[in-house]
Amino acid sequence: MADLELNKKLAALLSRCGIGDKKAFASLYEATNSKLFAVSLRIVRERHLAEEALQDSFVNIWKNASTYAVAKSAPMTWMAAIVRNRSLDIVRRPHLEIQDEEEYFTLNLEDERAGPHEQLTEGREAAQIETCMKALEADQRQTISLAFFHGLSHSEVSDHLGRPLGTIKTHIRRGLLKLKNCLDDHVGGLA
Amino acid sequence: MRIINPELRGRLASEYVLGTLRGGARRRFEQFLKSDYALRAEVAQWETHLTPLIERLKPVAPSAHVWANIEARIGGASTATSTTQAGWLGSLKFWRGLGVATSLVASVLFAALLTLKSNEVPSADPVMMAVLEDQGVARMVIEQPKSGLLMVKMVKPWGVVPNQSMELWVIPKDGAPRTLGVINDDGETKITMPDMEHRLTDGTVFAITNEPKGGSPSGKPTGSIMCKGTIARMPVKANTKQRGQI
Repeated sequence: MADLELNKKLAALLSRCGIGDKKAFASLYEATNSKLFAVSLRIVRERHLAEEALQDSFVNIWKNASTYAVAKSAPMTWMAAIVRNRSLDIVRRPHLEIQDEEEYFTLNLEDERAGPHEQLTEGREAAQIETCMKALEADQRQTISLAFFHGLSHSEVSDHLGRPLGTIKTHIRRGLLKLKNCLDDHVGGLA
Repeated sequence: MRIINPELRGRLASEYVLGTLRGGARRRFEQFLKSDYALRAEVAQWETHLTPLIERLKPVAPSAHVWANIEARIGGASTATSTTQAGWLGSLKFWRGLGVATSLVASVLFAALLTLKSNEVPSADPVMMAVLEDQGVARMVIEQPKSGLLMVKMVKPWGVVPNQSMELWVIPKDGAPRTLGVINDDGETKITMPDMEHRLTDGTVFAITNEPKGGSPSGKPTGSIMCKGTIARMPVKANTKQRGQI
């Protein structure tokens, strides 16, 4: 599988970064920067802030590369977590502008054309989460997507959708539980 | 201290990864994570589950200066990779540093250092040089160490785009671009050009474009310009008496 090969390559690059190989780091950056920038930009929204988050994240990736453990997570999962955490740290949203319906859809349609050859994470995991997201109720799926992709907090999701905070929290909590059960079932089925 | 309630542990781990755990609660949770292995495993599990959702996002290219800044920031962290024995010309670190300066400052520095260079190592003087920039960032250095030979050096390794090549063009002040061939994706490229000597006059521009693998099929540039720069002629070789000038 193409993505498994890519994963191996990224893992090898990361371990070389761990011993101070700057060339490997440059290759790692080339292979992942545009995907990770998309992750940050979606959360932070302002380009210069997202670039700052990306910079900080890659410096952290370089510094912590020696602690990366292949057995624990896929390289892209490990790096994306660093980028997401940094982006959530620096996001500044004094007031959230409510997007109109059309913009909401453009932002949420995402790139559905991404084929398996373009995937940076493991295909099996990607298929599982997609299946389980589809199994959620529409409200749950929408709130979880807004939080994950756009980095919205409970109250921001509540403002954005014009629904009570308690309702949003419930959707997210129940949605995540349902996701977990679904994902566990799939893992169980494969084991 | 640790969170005991298993249901609460699970909920906080999932909301931490989802991103809805914010502010003080997020920071407190990170403190718990440091000392709680099982909680870290729970977080890692959620990351493995949710992260593949990013496959849906369309990649967006960050500005070129992001990489330059990252490199500048990790400069001290890497082992000795500088090429001091090759002098400042060969020092990629120098050019990287130059990359973050504005073009104006860069060219002033450049002019000053050219003179310095001519004084310091007269025997190895290149005849001409060019710094190829992209949005003020130095990406490529071309020097002519002797008649009929060009050395193309990358300031940093460029990502190799599959099925594409980088092609070098020389553009006379009032003439059409002529190819100098495809350059290596990494490190240095030597170009011998016995018949091009007279074309390297003042005002000549070098540019590198993205082309299909193996170079432009038409002999004319077809792809986007990755970086470009104007030729800088070395000062006439100075005798050592000029040394006091800088």
